[in-house]
This record gives sequence, structure tokens and C-alpha cells, in this order.
Amino acid sequence: MAQSIVKEFTKGLWAEVPPFRLVLGLCPVLAVTKSVENGIGMGIATTFVLVCSNFLVSLLRDIIPAKVRIACFIVIIATFVTVVELMMQAYTYPLFLKLGIFIPLIVVNCIVLGRAEAFASKNPPHMAIADGLGMGIGFTLSLGALGAVRECLGDGTILGNPVFGPDFQPFTFMVEAPGAFVCLGLLLCLMNLIGKK
Amino acid sequence: MHKQNKFTVSHAPFWHDGSSIKCMNLNIMAAALPAVLFGIFQFGMPALGVICLSISTAMAWEALFNFISKRPITLNDYNAGVIGMLLGMMFPATIPWWAVIIGTFVAVVVGQQVFGGIGGNPFSPAVIGATILMVSWHTFFDFDATLLSYDFNFTALAPLAALKHQGVSATGLFNLSDLVIGKEVGAIGAVSGIGIILGGIYLILRGFIRWEISVSYIAGILVTAGLFNMVDPGKYAEPMFHLFTGYTLLGAFFLATDSSSSPVHTIPMFIYGAMGGLMTILIRNIGAYPDGTFFAILLINLINPLIDNIRPKALGKGVNNA
Amino acid sequence: MREMISMVVVLTVLSAFSGGMLAAVKTGTNDKIENQVLKFQKAPAIKLILSDVSNDPLQDRFKIMDQEEEVTFFVGKYDGTPKAITFETKGKGFGGDIGLMVGVNIESDEIIGVAVTTHSETPGLGSRAKDDPKFVSQFAGKTMDKNLGIKKSGGEIDAMSGATITSVGVCLAAQKAQELYTRLKPEIEKQTAQMAN
Repeated sequence: MAQSIVKEFTKGLWAEVPPFRLVLGLCPVLAVTKSVENGIGMGIATTFVLVCSNFLVSLLRDIIPAKVRIACFIVIIATFVTVVELMMQAYTYPLFLKLGIFIPLIVVNCIVLGRAEAFASKNPPHMAIADGLGMGIGFTLSLGALGAVRECLGDGTILGNPVFGPDFQPFTFMVEAPGAFVCLGLLLCLMNLIGKK
Repeated sequence: MHKQNKFTVSHAPFWHDGSSIKCMNLNIMAAALPAVLFGIFQFGMPALGVICLSISTAMAWEALFNFISKRPITLNDYNAGVIGMLLGMMFPATIPWWAVIIGTFVAVVVGQQVFGGIGGNPFSPAVIGATILMVSWHTFFDFDATLLSYDFNFTALAPLAALKHQGVSATGLFNLSDLVIGKEVGAIGAVSGIGIILGGIYLILRGFIRWEISVSYIAGILVTAGLFNMVDPGKYAEPMFHLFTGYTLLGAFFLATDSSSSPVHTIPMFIYGAMGGLMTILIRNIGAYPDGTFFAILLINLINPLIDNIRPKALGKGVNNA
Repeated sequence: MREMISMVVVLTVLSAFSGGMLAAVKTGTNDKIENQVLKFQKAPAIKLILSDVSNDPLQDRFKIMDQEEEVTFFVGKYDGTPKAITFETKGKGFGGDIGLMVGVNIESDEIIGVAVTTHSETPGLGSRAKDDPKFVSQFAGKTMDKNLGIKKSGGEIDAMSGATITSVGVCLAAQKAQELYTRLKPEIEKQTAQMAN
């Protein structure tokens, strides 16, 4: 039993890491990873929503009628997203300003609905939490990694600290939208290269 | 590994003119030489340095990528050389060396090799490289600032930037014959209108590029700029000014005609070229950038697969009751 | 029939639960959010404009309804008498709305200064409107009848090179501020007169 919880948890970290392996939830991946801070902030917000909604969906999985399950999932997810949004506004306002519209957009993030539908509605609560936590952390790390590459090249900083010294001329392309696509493609390519061996 | 089928042909465009890729690329380089030589003459040794560095690093990146991806070394088709040369022509002479190296990396590896090398690239690789550099380091392509150390015996202002910032009255500072010869501030290989036209006509006569694209591109520029000029001559510059400034001619003869990212049928070629000219002028007159050639060419590269579907129907095809 | 009822009941209960939860979170965080908005968005800009006032403009504020929109005015007192007000307007920039805090001297109707509050302009180009005071300082000392457009379109402001659209956006916000101020002048005077005591 304990072993399978570990398995559900770890699959989100590498084997099924959402943006790179499942290629899901690309909207926030491309939009908010201008810096490490934004990426990780977004990842944590999504993780919170993912764990809470997975838990609740899994608890109610026998009560929710099959025909209206998507509507129920969305209500649950939207509730938690709004909670996160209000909380971020109240306590981490600068980060909220940077993420802006992408916080409410977690509602339509495929990962959250996807895990609710594919996993949480068929498994007991403790497994669903492990799954949500694993997926969330995998998502957070991916966003952090992408954010690190883009911030490092595009702004010459990591978490706001300059890494290259004053003579570095930032590769601004990387923090623009097309840079996100190119960067994601190259990281995917790297993941596949490593995974093949 | 999937099984290699000997008889599978790819979807890339095919021209049959009896010559090899190597021959074509050598000819393109030769055709670009007049413009390059003029640039070197005008901007001195730094220009020669940029061109040499650009060609050599482009070839180095291709060799390196071939080596890493365990594919045969394709250097001897001179394709990387052409990309490097075109890229070098789009730079100002004072661009730092590391920017050239990044530019050739983006052009050769991201622009072409990751799509499977020659024939697989959806965009003109040289334009990709130059655009990404321009978006990232705006100041290197601000010719007024980068070429400040030069002492020219003509108006030392980048024509298109002057038009953007000072309005149409600035065009009076430039003599059209100066612009045609290349006595203007700009990129190494883009200043000499005559040189590019000569090279372009040579390529067209030899059949390495299609006259339809170049001619319709230039027609697109002239017609669109003419219309703008006709509506409000006080706000928009004359068509000839647009034709001989910035990257217009380089785009018409060398960039838009890239073999794998341009259409192969006649009508699509006309649409492709005209769209390019139209977009260039729209970006120059309405957009935020002084020159729109790069973005225009990337845009028409994007629509290329779509418009290339406009072609004559094969006889009897699609007829139900034949 | 039973299925129908269960569907309706489950969805209703879920929605009611989520509504209640959100209402609770909302009331809990409301004050906090308003303070955060003031603290992070408005305060730095106001401080920049009203640098030597004797009161706290964040405390001395009032609201006026203007064409279905509520505008908040922050009052700056010099030696106890209210002499300046600041308020925020918005202009369209390259990457979305640019918020501009405009300070006006209510005795001479001159602009004391302007400062950008929020923006999503390109780092290094449009963002100079906020980081580099050279551009926004041009607005200081202009009266309400001046044309605050960029020079190219007949105004008096030099656009930032390479960031024409951002410059136009800021100018637009400033022009809106002129209109708004002229329109609401009587109301503003009434309100500030009350503050004097």
C-alpha cells in the first residue's frame, strides 16, 4: 500500500511530469515563466489547487453522478482557484500582479481537470493526494527550470540576482513569447535525449 | 529506428534544372559578392571580419550539429556557407563578435538543422537568425547608434529610422541616386542597391531563384507604398524611397526566395511575393519597427504551405461522373 | 427520476458549499487586499510625485463617481492645507494597459508630476517609462490646456526612442487625466475644502 502511494507520487516527478511528458497545461508554462519566481509561484498555486481538488473529488467520487461529473469538478476546481487568487492578493500581492490573469486561468488548466477525471474520480483520497502532490511538484519544478533558463539568458539574473556580471547584454528574445516556445522545445528535446539512454 | 524506405521522397519543393545544390549555393554566394564587396569597401575591415566570422561559424555550427546528431557531415553542399553569408550581409559592421556567433547558431541550428537540415526548414534560416538578434538586441540594429564612429561623405542617418522618427520630411535629406548606389547608412550587404540587383538578375537568369517571387515582391512594395503615398504624401514616403532603403532588395532577391520556404507554383509565387511587399510596407508605415522586411518574410514563409495548395487540378481529378 | 434528483441535489449542494466558502474567504481578505493594492501599486508612485507633503496621502483620500467609474483621489497637504491631488488613469500601451498616477496642483492647475504604477511593457524598452524618470519628468509643470501628445502628432512630449507605443500610451493616460481633472474640478475643490479642517 505504502509503496503504491510512493509510486503515484514519484510518477509526477519524472515519468509523467506534466508539461514535458504529458505536454499538458502549456498555457501557464509558456506565459508565466519569464522568471524563476513567477514560475515557482504559479507552480505552487497550481499544486495547492491540484491537491485540494483531487482530495475533494476523490472523497465525493461515489456521490457525484456520472452525467454531471465534469460540472461538479469544475465547480470544485473553480472554488479553490478563487480561494488561491484571493489569498495571493491578500498576502503575496507583488507576485499576484505579475501572474495576473493566469491565476484565474488555472481553472481551465488541463492538468487539474485531467487529474480529477483520470485519477481522483477512480481512486481513494490518500492516493489522490499523493498523485496531486506529485504532479503539482513536477509542474512546479518544470516551470522553475524553464523560468531559470529564460530568466538567466533573457535577463541575466536568477531570482533577481545578476549571474553574469555587468557586461552581460541580456538575450531579450528568451523572455518574449516566441522565446518561450523555442526554449520549451529545446528542453523537451533534452528530456527525450536523457530519457532515451 | 524506423525502417528506411529507399523510394520515399520528401515533400520539399523540387526544381529540376540539372545542377546540384552545391552549384546553386556557390552561385548564390557569387551573386551576393558585389553587394558584399561594396559593403566592405564602404565600412572597411570590420565588415570583412563580420562576414568571415559569420560564414565560418555558420559552417562550424552545422558540422557540430551533424556530429552530435550522428548524421553525415553536410558541409560540402555549402548551404551553411550561404546562410552565414546572407546573415553577415544583414548585420551592421560594428556588431559584436558574440552576437554574430549566436546569430549563426540560431539560424543554422534552430532555423534549419532541427527541422532536418536543408529542404526541411519552414522559414528562411538567415531571416530567423537576424530577427531573433534584432528582437533581443535592438540597439545593434539601430544603425544611427552603431555606425556613429564612421565619417561618411553622405547623410549619416539610417534612412528608415529617420523616416520613422522625424516624419516624411526627412526623406528630403537623401538623394535617390545615393541610395541606389549604396551611399547610405545600413547593414553591410543591404546598402548597395545596384550590387544586389545585379546579383539577383544573375541568379534569375541562371534559374536559381524565380523571377516571379522577386518581381511580385518589388511590385508589392511599390504598389502598397504608392497607395499610401497617394493618400497622404505628407505622412508616408515615396515608393522608390522604400525600395532602395533598409532590407527591401536583399529581401526580394535573396531572403524571400529561399528554396525550401517559398512556393513552387506560379500563382502562389505571385501571391507570396506580393504579400511580402505588402506586409513590409504595412509594418514600416503603421507598425512600431522602422523596417519590416524580416517580419514580412517570416510571415509569408508561414503562409507558404497554405498558398502553395493553389495549383492547377490534375486532369480528371475530382470529377465524379467522368 | 432518482438519477435526475440526485444530479440536481449534488450540484446544488456543491455550488452552495463553494459559494459559502468563497463568501467567507472574500470577507476575510477584503480589507487586506485593499491595503495591499494601495501599498504596492499606488503608494510608490504617490510618494514619487508628492515627495514633501506633511500628511499621508494614502490616509487622506476620497472617491468621486465619474461616468459610472469610481476615481480615487489622494490629497497632499503642505503645512496642513491641501494643495495637491493625485489620481490614476489608464492608457493603452504595447503590452496592455499602463496605469499612470498623475499629480495636480489644485491652486495653479499645473501637473506636479506623473509616475507609472502598473504596466506590462517590454523590459528594457517600454519599461523605461517606469524605471527611467527622464521621460515622465517632461510632464511636470504642464498646465491643463497644453497638448500632452508626442511631438510627432503635434504635442509637446518627446517620445522614448524605440518605445513609441509605450510613449503614446503614457501620453494618452496623461491626456485622460487632463480631461478628468477639468471635468471634476468643482467636485474636487468641494472635497478638498472639507479636508482642510
